[in-house]
Formats: sequence, C-alpha cells, structure tokens
Amino acid sequence: MSAKPTTNDSTPANVDSNPFVGPQDLANFDPEKSLAEPGQYPYTRGIHREMYRKRTWTMRQFAGFGAAEETNKRFKFLLSKGQTGLSTAFDLPTLMGRDSDDPLALGEVGRCGVAVSSLDDMRRLYDGIDLSKVSTSMTINAPAAILLAFYICVAEEQGHTPDQLRGTLQNDILKEFHAQNEYIYPPRPSVKLVIDTIEYGTKHMPMWNTVSISGYHIREAGATAAEELAFTLADGMEYVKLSIERGLNVDDFAPRLSYFFDVHNNFFEEIAKLRAARRIWSNVMKNRFNAKNDRSLICRMHCQTAGVTLTEQQPMNNVVRVAYQALAAVLGGTQSLHTNSMDETLALPTEGSVKLALRTQQVIANETHVTETVDPLGGSYFIEKLTNEMEAKAHAIFDQIDAMGGVLEAIDRGYFRRAIAESALQENKRIESGQQKIVGVTDFVDDEEDHQVDLLKITQKTEDAQVARLKALKTNRDQQQHADALANLKKTAVNDQNVMPALIKAAKADATVGELIETMREVYGSYDGGPEW
Amino acid sequence: MNNHKPIRILLAKIGLDGHDRGVKVLARIFREAGFEVIYTGLWQTSESTMYAAMQEDVDIIGVSLLSAAHMTVVPELAKYRKKLGIESTPILLGGIIPAEDHDAVRKMGVTEIFNPGANTADIVESINNLAKNNTVPPRDTLLDGYANADQAALAKIITQMQAGENLTDWQPPSGHVPAGNATVIGITGAPGVGKSSFIGKLGAELRRRNLKVAVVAVDPSSPITGGALLGDRLRMMTGKPDEGFFIRSVASGEVQGGLGPHCADLVKLLSGFGFDVVFLETVGAGQSDVTIRNAVDHTMLLLMPESGDSIQYSKAGIMEIATHFVLNKCDLDGADKTHAQLLSAVGEDRPIYRTSSVNSEGVPAIADWITSLR
Ligand SMILES: Nc1nc2c(ncn2[C@@H]2O[C@H](COP(=O)(O)OP(=O)(O)O)[C@@H](O)[C@H]2O)c(=O)[nH]1
Ligand SMILES: [Mg+2]
Repeated sequence: MSAKPTTNDSTPANVDSNPFVGPQDLANFDPEKSLAEPGQYPYTRGIHREMYRKRTWTMRQFAGFGAAEETNKRFKFLLSKGQTGLSTAFDLPTLMGRDSDDPLALGEVGRCGVAVSSLDDMRRLYDGIDLSKVSTSMTINAPAAILLAFYICVAEEQGHTPDQLRGTLQNDILKEFHAQNEYIYPPRPSVKLVIDTIEYGTKHMPMWNTVSISGYHIREAGATAAEELAFTLADGMEYVKLSIERGLNVDDFAPRLSYFFDVHNNFFEEIAKLRAARRIWSNVMKNRFNAKNDRSLICRMHCQTAGVTLTEQQPMNNVVRVAYQALAAVLGGTQSLHTNSMDETLALPTEGSVKLALRTQQVIANETHVTETVDPLGGSYFIEKLTNEMEAKAHAIFDQIDAMGGVLEAIDRGYFRRAIAESALQENKRIESGQQKIVGVTDFVDDEEDHQVDLLKITQKTEDAQVARLKALKTNRDQQQHADALANLKKTAVNDQNVMPALIKAAKADATVGELIETMREVYGSYDGGPEW
Repeated sequence: MNNHKPIRILLAKIGLDGHDRGVKVLARIFREAGFEVIYTGLWQTSESTMYAAMQEDVDIIGVSLLSAAHMTVVPELAKYRKKLGIESTPILLGGIIPAEDHDAVRKMGVTEIFNPGANTADIVESINNLAKNNTVPPRDTLLDGYANADQAALAKIITQMQAGENLTDWQPPSGHVPAGNATVIGITGAPGVGKSSFIGKLGAELRRRNLKVAVVAVDPSSPITGGALLGDRLRMMTGKPDEGFFIRSVASGEVQGGLGPHCADLVKLLSGFGFDVVFLETVGAGQSDVTIRNAVDHTMLLLMPESGDSIQYSKAGIMEIATHFVLNKCDLDGADKTHAQLLSAVGEDRPIYRTSSVNSEGVPAIADWITSLR
C-alpha cells in the first residue's frame, strides 16, 4: 500500500561540485525552443513581452480583521485610498465550514479573519460597496462554493448579475489534502464541488478567477521547491482534466485558472522554479490538453514570501529575508506579490510592520531598476541549468503520480503527505546538524534577547454578538422555505448535479454555512485525512 | 517495579487549526528516539486528549497549540486531567506561547513549554528526564482500582503487562482476575485495508446498543530504535470520548505474528474488567500471521476492492483461519468483482459482509450479529 516518497531532493539545489556553470552544462539547450521571447510560448521568460516596464506587479497584502462591520469599514477605507481590489480573509470556523455558534468555533470566531455564517453576514461585509466596481479575492477552500453563492446573492440584491463580478476564489481543495488540512469531505466529492464552481463560473462569470492553485501551503508544510512545483502543477492538471471530463471546453475555463507560489530563501532556485512553472504549464496545456487560446497556456501567478523562514529571534532580520525573497519573486516574473511582515511569527502583524513590508516591494519596484529589462537573468548558464533541473525533477514526480493512477489515487495512498512530512523532517535535521544555517538562531545568536511581542488580545464581544445574531436568524427565518431549500440541495447532491443553483437558492432561504455543509455531508461523507505515516 | 519499557507519549492537536508540520516532525523524531508515540490527529478537544492520555497510560502528554488559545485551553486540560485521575502526568506545551504567559501557563499545570523552532534534542532530553520521575502506584492500589472499575488503574496494569508481566502476576489477593464474558473479536487484514476505521464505526454502533467496547490495537515497532508510531487510535475516536469505549494502542515490540506482548492476557484483563466486546486489531497480518486465532472467539479478515488477485493465491493461512470476511471500502470501484472472487475462493460457508467506513454501509448488520451473541 505504501507509496515511495518522492525524489526527496532536499539538498539545497545549487550546491554543485563545480564552482561555476558554463556552456557545457547546457549542451542540448535550445534557447529558441526552451525560452523564446518574453510573452511567447513557452513563456519561460514571462507572460508578457513588456512585463514590469509597462506595469509593475500588483502589491497585494492579505489580512484579516474581526467582525463583518470592522472589515467593511477597512474595505471602505482602502477603496477611498484608491485601492480597487479587496482581499477577504475568513476566520477558522468559516474556513472549516462551521457556524459561529458551533461548539468547535468557541474562541475562534472573528479571530484571524471575518466570520461569515449566513447571507446576512456577507451582506454586512460588503454593505455599501458596489460589487460591480471592485474585484474581490476570497481565501476560502472547502466551503468555497457556498461563499461564492453568498457573494452572488449580495451582488444580485445590489442589482448586478454574476457576469459583472470580478474576483478570485482560492477554491483549491487538493492542497488542503496535501498540506493545510482544511478539508471536510473525501477527496472525490470535494473536487467535484470545485469543478461545480469552475463550470458555473465558466458559464455565468466570465471575469471571475475560479481557482488559485496553491503551492504556498504545500511548501510551508515542508515540501522542497521541486515538490511544491510538481505537486501544484499536478493539482492544476487534475482540475483541467476533470473540467474537460465535465464537458467544458479547455479554452473556456483555463484562462481563469491561476497559481499561487511560495518564495523561499534559496534565491536562484526560487527564480528557476517560477520560470520552470511557466514552461511546464504551457507545454502541458498545449500538448496534453490541446488548448488553442494563448491565454490558456500562460501560468499567471501570485507569490508570497515564505512565512516559515521568519524567525522569532532577532525579528528585524526578517525584513532582510523578506526583501531577498521578494526580489526573487520579481526576478521570477510574478504577477502579484504579498510580502510578509517581520513580526508575524508570533502574532498578527502590527500596522507599522505591514507598512514596512509594502515599502519593501515599493523599493524594489522604484529604486533597484530590476524592472527595466524583462527576465534579466534569462540566458545565465546557472539560471537556465537550474530551470532545466526544476523541470526535470517535476516531470520525475509527475511520472510517480501517474504510476499511482493520478492525483486522487496518490492522495488515497498518503503519497503527498508522506513526502511533505519526510522533507520537513530532513530540513529539520539539516538545521539541527548545523548543515543549514539560520542567522540569529543557529548562528550569530544574541545572548541577551528580549522578545517584546504584542499578541492580539481577543475580545469575546465580537464572538458573542455574532453568535447572538446567528441564533436570531435561525429562529426568525421562514422555516418551511429553509427546509425545502436544504432538501433541494440534498437532492441535487444525490443526483450528482451542479450544486451552485441549489446553494444560491438555499442562501436566499437563510441557510447557514454549517447547515449547508452538513446537508452535503449526508451525501458526500466525511474525510479523516487519509494515511498518515 | 519500574520495568524496562519504552517511554509512551501522546501528541495532540487541539482546536480547528490544521498546521501539523511541527507535530509530525516531532512524532518522527520521537520514534527515532525510541518512544512509543500516540498521535491523535487534528481537531481534538481537551477532553478527548485527556481520555486518550488516561487510557493509553502515557508518560508524557504533548499538546500542540498554534492558535494562541493557551489561556483558555490549558485550564480545560488541567480540569480533565484531574477528573480522569492522571494528575501526575506531565503536560508539555508546544506552540506560540508569549514569554509573559509562561508563568501563568505553568501555574495552570503545564510542566514545559517549547516554542516553534525549539531544538528537538532538547525536547527529547526533557522527556527522558521527566519520564524518569514517573512512578507506578503500588500493586494493591492498582488492583483495588481495577476491582472498582477505575480505568486509570486498568491502563496502568496494562502497561506493566506490556513490560513483561503475565496475568498471573496480577492476581488480586482475593483470588484471580474475573473471567468476564466478553465476546472477543480479532480484526486482521493488510495494512491500510481499514481495520482501525472499521473498529471505530462498529464500536460506535455497539455503543448505541449499550454494549461496552474495548480495543487493543497493535502497530509495529521499529526494529532499530524500538520506537513506534501508534496511529490506530486516531481512526477510532470519532465521537465524544466515552468511558464505555476503551482504546489501547500497543506496540508489537519484538513479538512476531501480528500481535504485541501478552495480547491474549490483555484481552482477558479487559474482559474481566467488564467490557462486553473486545476487539483485537493486528499489525496487518501477513499470510502466516495466524497466532491471533488463539486469543479470540472470532476472526474477521478485512479485504478491499481490487485485492482479488491476492485472494486467488492465498487460500491457506490467514484465509483459512478467518471466521468472517469483511469486504471493506465498498464505496470504491471494483467491489462487486472482488466480492465474486472472494465467493469463489472461500465458498458460502463463512459470512461475507460488505462495508464502508465512509458512509457506515454494512456496519449495523455486523453490530446486529455481535449483539445477537450477547
Ligand atoms: N474509501 C474508503 N477509505 C477507507 C475506508 N476505511 C478506511 N479508509 C481509509 O484507509 C486508510 C487506512 O485506514 P485504517 O483504518 O488506518 O487501516 P488499517 O491500517 O487497516 O487499520 C485511511 O486513510 C482511511 O481513511 C473505507 O471504507 N472507504
Ligand atoms: Mg490500524
């Protein structure tokens, strides 16, 4: 039963026996074929011809803050400052598909993001914000279809149709099984829900980004760069394959898929990873899935600096780490970037450190001149060799996954979790043996250190108010309409139809996230995480 | 009387947070250090954690908390630890605990605190030192406890038996351990076929029928370090923790044949304690692992779809001693085909059940059969 762990190549990629790389290392390399020009297939050098010369990347900082009203206030503030994109972080109970009054939600309501249990919460979250004018990103996975239904309903109340809406749903359940553990149903029905939203989005929401296929959490859980790259692209291929099986035309939905990668410390390796991602994806889309539209071939990506590399000791060092990681993301050609705040290993970041993180990006964009030529590292012997190696490692991993029968079968065997845990263990050993240094932790340690951290103090008030409001909603709604809507949802799930219309209907009947999740659980079952060791 | 035995440690993650990189690395490090590690998986409560600690009689309770909920969770842990009679078992807390809270958290009952990035060698050393201080209560106290249905005492007697003592070493002054009249069912089958999940579902079903259930679940020990990752419990503990559902994870140690030390005696001990049904889960038996037969009344062999080929070639050994067949994971493709292969291989004399732990299909029928034996 047990699957072999992946090529557990955790050794830092660019430790080579040779002191430098030269033409002999690129013997069969054909720049015409493997690189072309920026904006040209296979897009190794970037998805646009002009890249940052025309427009810098989007500086997108993600954060969560408490109750719907508070978040709404912050949204309005950001909009008044000229921002057009809103990023919504949900609290842990919502991410796990639980209502704010669920016993397991106790103490977590509104803590790391906003609590949304009902259409009414969503209405208050976007109150007074014209949803046809803004673009909204929602970091939500297992209950993504439900939150999307709520969003559509709020827009409809404002008089907008789904085709006017712009935004992104993270909606990537596969990486939850590999790494982040915010899953509810077994893998197959979970993925079915993702394909439901892709199908719905393709037919009704042409401007909506349906899935943000995420390597970030895979990497943070311990995967190597090559594993992050390969597992994430394999997940992307799985969504494409299943969407085609659903009857969708690849060029109708593929342009709306995007990627989300981690950017770690190994500077050149990370750049090579992002370049390899674009080349692999365009090849796969063109040759395996026969995509014809250029927009289906490009791997659009968001990047975030690596939270796991930040240290609690000497936290100012984190500013430096983040800056180098951010530079790697830019040299790798990202479309948008989140830079972590130096103090977030211990708590939610303070306003000052959030600003500093943003300034870090602005310095790169405005002072370093790295934006003035596209893919400045392209053609470097070293970078091209590393990019080739990344691609080869990814293909070796794809072969292993294929040999098991595919991504879902590999999940059944615990392949991803085991590989990631093994890599995490290896990294831990490298650090503790002194092979991998961390400034301020393994080396250059300060004797007397005073960690002063302001931990977010939780106010029980937010939670109590939210729970009271939810209880009132559950009592006062039209119970018949509510029961009918849940029955209708269950029937849809039993008949294996797309649940989106039933979810929208149930949202209007004030069915809550928890109720909708439990109704579908009756059909889809629960998941226990799969094989662990 | 402190016999030589591996240190047992519970690793628990409490709350909805799913970040398990740290616990998983530690679980592996602890196994390499020769510990027996019981990992209870995600989404645990303080109550379920302490039930596990009590039934498993661990030396150390390791709790991972990343969601900064320590000030609310630690008092809960302390409350249940006291309630379940294991107050002397040290709690180690891992997670983001700000220095200013350390004193308060220690006062509430935590022995050691490790922030993320703590050196694992330090953690291992600290566990070794703490475990040295653990003492076993006097034999008479334990026997009294056993006679008075004290599960914490039962759990400690099990530990002593695992460390090398026989049932005969545990005769109460008044006579001997009562025989009890539990129905003892062996659950065997290849690793990953779903034995533990099946016992979890079946156990819950039997609890609904008011039968008291105990489980002895065996997982393999590392032949090199003697450590073990005991992962059966996490598949079984689905509902609220419950006195009537006793789970004990056992490492195979050097015992061959799919069981652990003194498993047959353990089963008797549990029967004598008053459980109605005792399950004995094997390591994941090979073809020749038939020793289980001597310890149980019935032997259920679990199979899963697409395992047909192995059925064809293995009519001997484990297929021979099974009294019941369970085709598990029937939610997966290929169940009908494997069922047909199974039928043609073993005939119709012995029952073949079809089950799934995903939707509990087929489990009530087996619970009915067991209930009918009582
Ligand atoms: N699809 C499916 N998976 C199952 C079923 N029962 C168990 N599993 C999965 O199979 C894996 C192994 O289960 P476990 O109970 O630990 O097996 P054991 O090694 O035989 O004890 C776990 O990932 C379970 O989630 C089932 O009925 N259907
Ligand atoms: Mg098991």
